[in-house]
Amino acid sequence: MHHFFDSARREARRLGQSPWDLAMVTWVPLLAVVLVVWMFSSAIPRNLPVGVVDEDHSGLSRQLVRMLDASPGIQVVDEFDSESSAQNALRSVRVYAMVNIPRDFERDIKRGVKTEVTLRHNAQFATHSSLLQRDVRTVVGTLAAGIEVSARTKRGESPQQAKTSFNPIQTQSIALFNGSGNYEKYLTAAVIPAILHILAMTAGAWAVGRELRDKTLGQWLGHEGGRSVAVALLGKLAIPWMTLTGIGTGALWFITAGRGWDIPGHLAWICLALALLMALSLAAGAAVAALTKSLRTALSVTGLLTAPAFAFSGMSFPLSAMPDSARLWATSMPFTHYIRLQTEQLLMGLPARASAATPVAFLLATLGLLALAAWGLVQARNKPSTWGAR
Amino acid sequence: MTLHHSRTLRTGFVATLRDVVRDKGVLMLLFAAPLFYAFFYPWFFGPEVVTRVPVAVIDQDHSALSRTIQRLALANPRIEVKAVASDERAAQAAMSRGEIEGYLLLPDTLKANVARGMPALVTIVSNGAYPIISKAVQYGLAEAVGAASAGIEIRQREAKGQSPRQASETRTPVDFQAIALFNATEGYGSFIVPAVALLIMHQTLLMGVGMLVATWVEQRAVQASPMVWIGRWLAFLVPGLVSGLFYFGWIFWLYGYPRAGNVAGSLVFLVLYLSAIVTLGSLVGLWCRDRERVLQVILFSTLPLVFLAGFSWPSEALPTALQYLRWLIPTTAGVQAALRLNQMGAPLQSVMPYLGCLFVLTLLAGSLVLKFEGKSPRA
Repeated sequence: MHHFFDSARREARRLGQSPWDLAMVTWVPLLAVVLVVWMFSSAIPRNLPVGVVDEDHSGLSRQLVRMLDASPGIQVVDEFDSESSAQNALRSVRVYAMVNIPRDFERDIKRGVKTEVTLRHNAQFATHSSLLQRDVRTVVGTLAAGIEVSARTKRGESPQQAKTSFNPIQTQSIALFNGSGNYEKYLTAAVIPAILHILAMTAGAWAVGRELRDKTLGQWLGHEGGRSVAVALLGKLAIPWMTLTGIGTGALWFITAGRGWDIPGHLAWICLALALLMALSLAAGAAVAALTKSLRTALSVTGLLTAPAFAFSGMSFPLSAMPDSARLWATSMPFTHYIRLQTEQLLMGLPARASAATPVAFLLATLGLLALAAWGLVQARNKPSTWGAR
Repeated sequence: MTLHHSRTLRTGFVATLRDVVRDKGVLMLLFAAPLFYAFFYPWFFGPEVVTRVPVAVIDQDHSALSRTIQRLALANPRIEVKAVASDERAAQAAMSRGEIEGYLLLPDTLKANVARGMPALVTIVSNGAYPIISKAVQYGLAEAVGAASAGIEIRQREAKGQSPRQASETRTPVDFQAIALFNATEGYGSFIVPAVALLIMHQTLLMGVGMLVATWVEQRAVQASPMVWIGRWLAFLVPGLVSGLFYFGWIFWLYGYPRAGNVAGSLVFLVLYLSAIVTLGSLVGLWCRDRERVLQVILFSTLPLVFLAGFSWPSEALPTALQYLRWLIPTTAGVQAALRLNQMGAPLQSVMPYLGCLFVLTLLAGSLVLKFEGKSPRA
């Protein structure tokens, strides 16, 4: 047991002597988490700039423009008279979309002739354009339904009858598990663990890799056997594990329970999984550093494994839509499983046992990686000629 | 420029290229990493669009109408009907297990209500925890129901004596048509990769330059005259231009991503973008003074940069202070300008504000480098 505390004390001393190293496991992660919370604090994108080409200049077309502008997601910034100026505005992304109201819009509607509102949207900005499509579609639908129902009422149908015969089968859409479409819930909660995942593997690689680079491996590990080396490794990783887990669970608590978000699942279960993800990431960083015997290579591998982990976790682009080989990579990454568990508990409200496999697998993987790291460290310690690689 | 100046500039340029080639770590970051990531990222978004999302249909009506809706749902490419059942609870359980991502509920009153002219309500349930999947489920099932609904209404109008054409024309007085510009297939890869390419170029070049400058600090060889520094920066532009041209000229073409192509404009942009990165990278190197430290401090920044650059997350949704602060990072102006020039074919003058921003960042970072390089330990 004394190996554990000796190693932890040694690490604490090292952190005390290097403000950089201390920062990277304390206030830098904290600041990164605060930045993420701040970035998504306004929750839902509002007032995306949109242009209008009104070829009708009628009361009804102006009503449509007013309705568009009143929709919270849309801001009508300009009306364009010519097609070329409209195209310029689209091309230079002064507006993300252009609504075209055709000539004779009002007259056609009064005569019962079909007319068409066109939305040209910039699909290169897919997030913006899908929000705008939804909002403009809704506004046009509201206008059309209003016209249709009032026309039918004039013909003597009751408003209820008019509504029914306008659309015999009505659809009710329910997006379960994220009813409000609240991006804050969705993104903040997912990005915080993703960024801590990167920082934790970096910290693991740094803690072990630095001993190799600075040729202090012998000083750290002495001449002890494999088991003592493993215990010393645990002692070394204990401090960053505690600080990163503390920051992560604190942040998750703050953005959920702390803000009165009623969680359908178990927050404690998420915190446990996050603590294990931090342990797994630290152990992975340590193992890569011990096996490659190079701090620089270990950090490059950390970047490769953890920086894209969020993008390929299935949160943004679905796992089921990836090619098989890419999906195999994605499902080999621990973050993919962590975020599935977090989604199940934070949004879907599944029973804890439905998410039980992930923490168990994390624990086993952590132990395996620690054993691997200890083995690599014993090899490296016995060969001082390999120390000091840059 | 005097002869002496041009000689010191050349000295800085040649010595830097020599150091790049001799340093395996820097070489990996400047050449191997951009090459590797160019194939790594697009790999995941192979099919581009989300199709055949597994769903279920809960048919409690067992009528000709409910079977019509089922058939229309089966034919819809966005979704794949995995099961038809009558028990909603079974569908909810399958959704929790992740076997289906949504379902359509056709209640037992459907046919009867439609026949009596009463409102008939069907329900589409999707997994809102995954927005892209949820959208495919909602659209796919709503299209199936909408087609069935329109069919009924047109038949009702024909029964009242309207001609088929008249009936379908007056059904909806205002049609809505959405046209996708610039990324016409609305593919996910062609949305994300052209922007992420700029981030990859930024991060790899920033780390490579920072690492070499930090190594010079370690070796007490960093101090030099302004002309030598300019030579160094010009040398760092070389690997940046190689990977930039590789992405703009070849990778985008290889994967069929939109390339409206303002080629001359893209080159001007590339030089300014890379200049901002190499000066900033030098500053990071001076600040870190330790070659591995550069990787340690830059790695995790990738994730926030993605959300600050204004493509995957609308910048309009950022807090006001961040909307200004984000311009201090080259990727913000870089992504905005590159998408306009490369993907939308905008003229150079429409991206002038972004190019100006990159120019100011270059001057700012460059002068800070010249100011602080004297503070590093002397040889």
